[in-house]
Amino acid sequence: MPGSAAGGQAAGARARRPLRAVSALTFLVVAGVAVAASLITDDAIRNQDRLILRERTGEAAAVLGSAFSGSQASLQLLGTLARSGQSRARLFTAAARSITTSSRQAWMVSAEQGPNARVIAAAGSGLAVGALLSTDHERLADRALSVSGLVTGLVQEGSARWLVLGLGRSAGPGTVVWEMTKVTPKATVRLAASSPFGNLAIAIYASARPSPATLVIATTRHLPLAGVQYPFRVGADTWLLVAQSPHPIVGALAEAMPWILLAVGLLAAALVTAFVETLGRRRDYAAALVKERTASLRSAIADLEEAQAQLIRQERLAAVGQLASTVGHELRNPLGVVMNVLYLMEAGAGDDPDGPVRRHIATAKREISAATLIVSDLLDYSAGRQPILAPVRVSELVTEALSVAPPPKGVQVVQDGEPQASIDADHDQIRQALLNLITNGYDAMPDGGTLTIAAASAPGSVQITVTDTGSGMDEETREAIFTPFYTRKARGIGLGLAVTKRIVEAHHGTITVRSAPAAGSSFTITVPVAASLASVPR
Amino acid sequence: MSGAAILVVDDEPGMRDTLVAILEHHGYRVSSAPDGESAFSAVRETVFDVVVMDVRMPGRDGVSVLEEIGDPPPRVILMTAYTQEDRLRDAVRAHAFAVLHKPFETHRMLSLIADASQAGR
Repeated sequence: MPGSAAGGQAAGARARRPLRAVSALTFLVVAGVAVAASLITDDAIRNQDRLILRERTGEAAAVLGSAFSGSQASLQLLGTLARSGQSRARLFTAAARSITTSSRQAWMVSAEQGPNARVIAAAGSGLAVGALLSTDHERLADRALSVSGLVTGLVQEGSARWLVLGLGRSAGPGTVVWEMTKVTPKATVRLAASSPFGNLAIAIYASARPSPATLVIATTRHLPLAGVQYPFRVGADTWLLVAQSPHPIVGALAEAMPWILLAVGLLAAALVTAFVETLGRRRDYAAALVKERTASLRSAIADLEEAQAQLIRQERLAAVGQLASTVGHELRNPLGVVMNVLYLMEAGAGDDPDGPVRRHIATAKREISAATLIVSDLLDYSAGRQPILAPVRVSELVTEALSVAPPPKGVQVVQDGEPQASIDADHDQIRQALLNLITNGYDAMPDGGTLTIAAASAPGSVQITVTDTGSGMDEETREAIFTPFYTRKARGIGLGLAVTKRIVEAHHGTITVRSAPAAGSSFTITVPVAASLASVPR
Repeated sequence: MSGAAILVVDDEPGMRDTLVAILEHHGYRVSSAPDGESAFSAVRETVFDVVVMDVRMPGRDGVSVLEEIGDPPPRVILMTAYTQEDRLRDAVRAHAFAVLHKPFETHRMLSLIADASQAGR
């Protein structure tokens, strides 16, 4: 039955196929969410990074600013010292030296003398006392005297470049006190990794714009920097601090977070898709199983209905068969008596073989024979008995059959082959089989023809072939003729060939048919010469 | 071959009478009995060459009579309108000369009786 193997078949029937639409959609949605989350996180982290960088830069600028406030205070103090008494230059120099922290540092005081400005006090490796200021320096001095607070600038003195901070009027009218630091902008400064700004690349410009000419100091050669620009006040001037972070300030984990989110999201998408796909396939599988089971149930119900109908038919048939059997048996005695009476009438009917009485008797005998054959077939079909075997000659059987069923008008009977052949058979049954074949042959030739009965011996078996020259059969008919109750004749109940086949097979023989429309039919019975069944001694 | 003594046993008068008539027509000396019991008495009183006997009869059936009278003489030909296989096998075992299924061809019956009476001689 299909039910038992339904699971396997359902699983096998589902061919390998791509993801279904709902699964693909699920993947796209979840993956899309993952990508969006990744992008948003990335953006947020970049913003955070920039914000922190800005804060750091601001802090750095504040530190620088406070350093310059310190410088301004120092210059104010130095100016005060330089103004007091005769020994002012000495005091200045001594104070300046005491606050000098590097050989690159120099201190001096300039004063306006006519159109020029000259150095009136100096400490460190700067300009000597009495020296004139350079043009750039002079211009700065003019600015220092015109503004309050520090002025700043870069001044080239020979090969040296100085960062100068000037505080005007602190040593008296027309004076400027200077702090000068030799700078080499091309040489990068390394910040210790432990310093608060150690992880930043920084460039400081003594101007509001990042110009190479105003570069004071840088921690990298790779200028200009693309990071945060933070202007801040140094005295009367605006400086610029540019900072960039070569590594994310927020940390490697934060920087990796968008990628982690993306990976986790895609993984989740794959898992959810697999889950949805599994659910879908299970649902399909269940649906297919239900469909199959339903179909098999329907088919089982149909089978059951058919079986029930068949049972009812069989019961009816059995009841009819029972009746037929009883009636058939009861008819046998009267038929036998009538046959005997006809025999006696024939014996007393005079010598004229063509006399009317003999003709009537012949007709009665033929009809009684037909009735007998029908009764025999019916009884054999409803309660077929096993053959009781005895040696019998084929010729004897043929002669008897022809005497029971003489050929009708227009039909010629030809006997052929080896009619002397002998077989072990149930005389009455084989005669009944032959009678069926012979009368069928007659019926197939209503307009006359030739019926040939041929016997042939083969080692261990005998063949009896009954051939007519009648209407023949098509393939469909040929396949149906051994079916009980199948008949094409106006007279008869359609049991003849079914019973003939049963009889032949009970003798361990076979029956075959060759036929074509309008080409006649040929039935061949093959039975073993000696059977192993019980035989009646004769 | 004529003159052989035949006993016809059948409870059906029509069958019995017509058989007797046919056999007498062919020159046999024919007696008849309507049932198994009378048949058995007849066989014990008279010597028959052939007994032609129906199987199914009221009282004793043909096969039991055959079994009691034993094998030859006389030769017993059984007639039956029924397909009682067990009973027919019993008949074969009890050495029935032949079994005729009703309705039979008169010629065949005559030829069997001829064979049986020949065999008894």
